Amino acid sequence: MTDPYSVLGIQPTATDAEVKKAYRELARKYHPDNYQNNPLADLAEEKMKEINEAYDAINRARSGAGGGSYASGSQGQAYQRQSYQGSALYQQVRRCINMGDLGQAEALLQQAPSRDAEWFFLNGSLAYRRGWLDEALQNYNTACQMDPTNPEYRQALSMMQQGGYAYQPPGYSNAQGCDSCDICSTLLCLNCLCGGCN
Amino acid sequence: MFGYVRPIRDRLSPEEWALYQGAYCGLCHALGAGYGPLARFTLNYDFTFLAILLSPPEEPELRPRRCLVHPFRPRRAADSQGALALAADTSMILTWHKLRDDILDRRGPGQMPSRSAALAIGRGYRRAAALHPALDGCTRENLDRLHRLEGERSSSIDRTADAFAAILRGAGGEAAEERQRRVLEELLYHLGRWIYLTDAWDDLEQDRRGGQYNPLLYRFPDGPEGHREEVGRTMTHSVRLCQSAAALADFGPWQGVVDNILYLGIPAVQELVLSGRGKELRRQKRRGDPPLHRENDT
Repeated sequence: MTDPYSVLGIQPTATDAEVKKAYRELARKYHPDNYQNNPLADLAEEKMKEINEAYDAINRARSGAGGGSYASGSQGQAYQRQSYQGSALYQQVRRCINMGDLGQAEALLQQAPSRDAEWFFLNGSLAYRRGWLDEALQNYNTACQMDPTNPEYRQALSMMQQGGYAYQPPGYSNAQGCDSCDICSTLLCLNCLCGGCN
Repeated sequence: MFGYVRPIRDRLSPEEWALYQGAYCGLCHALGAGYGPLARFTLNYDFTFLAILLSPPEEPELRPRRCLVHPFRPRRAADSQGALALAADTSMILTWHKLRDDILDRRGPGQMPSRSAALAIGRGYRRAAALHPALDGCTRENLDRLHRLEGERSSSIDRTADAFAAILRGAGGEAAEERQRRVLEELLYHLGRWIYLTDAWDDLEQDRRGGQYNPLLYRFPDGPEGHREEVGRTMTHSVRLCQSAAALADFGPWQGVVDNILYLGIPAVQELVLSGRGKELRRQKRRGDPPLHRENDT
């Protein structure tokens, strides 16, 4: 097994607090929320497992100091078959999208007898998986209008309305989505862009 | 091709800046060595970023080299083999197809600049295409698709952007290792989507005046300007997907440069373009092309 300290990017001499901090940062970076319905979700999950194992190994070696790692389960994996009630067709569509078989998912959706809220939700998920974010948003929107109480649809729509999630490394916190900072940072950036290329 | 993908220089450490400049100069030398002096004009920031993404995660060897632009004071350039040569090949293929596309778009004397440029790099393009037939085929196919969508006056910004993004994704397919290839394909797809939308917004005025197709004008018939936030959000979403993809790859010493571009440079350019100040980027480019070289002379 690789050295757990190098997995967390720290020295073996790191204090318990430093270990915890490094672990927390990496756990935020590879959090399943950042990779919902993402074609790279499996790679992120692998990374998450790696850092969880490293963190547990260090804690064991340090005789149980500190808390346990986050559950390495994929609770953020969007379309796991939870307590899901739906037609067999829609279940099949979900499976296809999960496996990345988008052509098949599209063909199945075309066969659906009616276009209900779930149809629009799944069509949105399919669009999202393709990287068609505008169509995903429109479809999620329709799904929510047809069935405003469904938490799954609302969660998907809210994710789109925020422009998705991504980990922001320390020191790179930029003004994306923060209006009051936009002006300053743009002026700063503009200055640097011109200064850099003059 | 566009030049929207650039770092914020002041936020790079001196080492990172040296690396970036090394990649930029190295790519220029790779273009010159592989395809002759005229090919150097295809050099731009976007392809430099591609070269960096394709670079192995190890310290590159930077060697001082002279060139026509810097005959007296040599610049430290990265070795033009490997990733830089690959980026140079990609640059030739993409630029040539883009020129061909411009020729199809225009009539009469408006075609002339593109025609002469295409002629100038035609031989180089054919050599690059022979080296990477899959990328050449993918580029041709997707630009044809884009052309069809434009002809239909498509109102989908996703589908038009998809045709362009798929071309950049094809460039990621040239990566050797499976995991790296998957990460780069996703990253480049959304980078391509972002570039396409940025360019579309940047061209709004011009396309409206010239009566040319612009996907944003058809997606928002009441005027895209009223939907600036919405467009910005979908662009930011693509940038975040680029960032999430990049987090899964190891860029070694290039990490700082990659992060600078993805987390600082791209959002700053987006802000400029969306607020209607994209001209400032181009003015800069015209004044001192290739801009980065001049930096240390002043």
